[in-house]
Amino acid sequence: MAPVKPWVAVGLTACFVLALAYLPPRGAKSSGKSIFVGQSPQGTPARQHAQALAEEWRNADAALRLLEDRQGMKEDAFRISPTIIFRGATPPPNAVRNVETVMDSVWRGLGLGETKVGVTLVIELQRPSGSADSPTPLQDRVAYLTPDSTDRTTCIASLPAGPYWTSFLLGKRDTRYFGGFAQWLQAGLGPCAFYAAYGTPGRRAGSWLAARNWDLGLYLGAPGIAGERSSSLALMGDPRFSWFWDAVYSFPPATVACLAGRRSGCRAAVLAGAADEGTIPVPNVILVERRWWRVQLLLPGERYLGDVARTVGRNRFLDFWTSEQPVDTALAAALKRPVGEWTADWERGFVRPIRLGPTPPLGAAAIALAIAVLVLIVVAGAASRREVR
Amino acid sequence: MKAVVVLVATSIVTTPAVAQRWQRQVEERAQRAVQAIEPAKPLNVVKRSGMLNLNESVSFETTLRQGQRYAIVAVCDDDCSRLELTLLTPSRSEIAKEANSESLPTLHFTPSTTMSYGIRVVMGGCRWNPCWYAVAVVPLGENPL
Repeated sequence: MAPVKPWVAVGLTACFVLALAYLPPRGAKSSGKSIFVGQSPQGTPARQHAQALAEEWRNADAALRLLEDRQGMKEDAFRISPTIIFRGATPPPNAVRNVETVMDSVWRGLGLGETKVGVTLVIELQRPSGSADSPTPLQDRVAYLTPDSTDRTTCIASLPAGPYWTSFLLGKRDTRYFGGFAQWLQAGLGPCAFYAAYGTPGRRAGSWLAARNWDLGLYLGAPGIAGERSSSLALMGDPRFSWFWDAVYSFPPATVACLAGRRSGCRAAVLAGAADEGTIPVPNVILVERRWWRVQLLLPGERYLGDVARTVGRNRFLDFWTSEQPVDTALAAALKRPVGEWTADWERGFVRPIRLGPTPPLGAAAIALAIAVLVLIVVAGAASRREVR
Repeated sequence: MKAVVVLVATSIVTTPAVAQRWQRQVEERAQRAVQAIEPAKPLNVVKRSGMLNLNESVSFETTLRQGQRYAIVAVCDDDCSRLELTLLTPSRSEIAKEANSESLPTLHFTPSTTMSYGIRVVMGGCRWNPCWYAVAVVPLGENPL
């Protein structure tokens, strides 16, 4: 039994060192409640039911108000850029003129002039909460009524102004402190900007985008929503922020794979929903999620189609937009490259590819290697002194 | 049949200002086409106009008189590359079809019976949806036979 004891001691020591290397001695500290994956406390079934009903009511109310807006709309025959309607309060006439001027320059900046599909922008100024017997109407969700819902040539965008822009538009605060109004208006055009620029999408592209709630076509402009500052990239894709990895873990696998530069992941993230041959409802109301950047399948997905259009040019984009071929085929034909390949390059332009798979800390790896070398030396030494009797 | 019948497109009730350019374009083209077919300014020309997305179709009915020669012509806007025109019986059977003349299909027809005939327009090619179209049914005079 005596010769066995040193080996037991060596084995136990090795296990201890390994444990020391890989397991934090005082246990891992929680990074706190994740703002991306955390769950709100569950309500009672009755409360959940009431909340679901309220959500349904809000969606129906939003659709109804958009349809009412369309019916009561008086369009300006001389206006090429979007017609602007204010709801909830009446801003002073000079504020209305200013908004129209800003919108005109936004429209020109997007390269738009006279378009087949016109846009009406309904700016909902903040108003007091509703009465207690009905849910509060949607005041913080952007909604779009696409063409073909009422007539074929009007896309309506309903843009809640919130307290910030309401104060600005009603002239209650000093306008020197308000920046980014043009970017806000431009971002508010959403899918309507695509309808204006490229017309109604064909059956394939239309049902693909409807299946994914237009997450790839929320923004047509070049510099990004709010001039990059508030884009999904700044919110979710910046490794300098402490929540970056929480955000990564909240994404679906294809999105994460694309962030890692994998072409197959990028392809899957772009083509999600393309296989569905779903019908587009009439009226077709697109309700953008409150925190739309958290439910994207691509980062920064809101500008993906805009970037595709700028890259391939108008003619090739129109070929894709109205194509009767599957989305994968039509998009690859427009890009003249496989979708996954182009998208992976596009993604690399925004986010440095993340590393996937296990990555042991440098110190732990060094200790493990040292142990391995030590074990080899001990074994070699023991073997060299081995005697056969 | 992939085409979708779009009833709302049969008449332009609330055409916004932005769309008037294309509407004017097809109305002028229809007018020129009618003059080319019958320079004598024919009376009772039936005209319909509207807009269709790619591969959508629209049908309407019109009464054609026995023994009267008719030309049915359809035009569309600059973004349209192919328009199909079909003449139908009340039971929706095809009498004549023109699908080969790209954006200016024309049919000539002399009814043997006075009744309501169907005219179907299919937007076979449209680069920028929706595309505007106009159809004119032009009476050319009595058939001499």
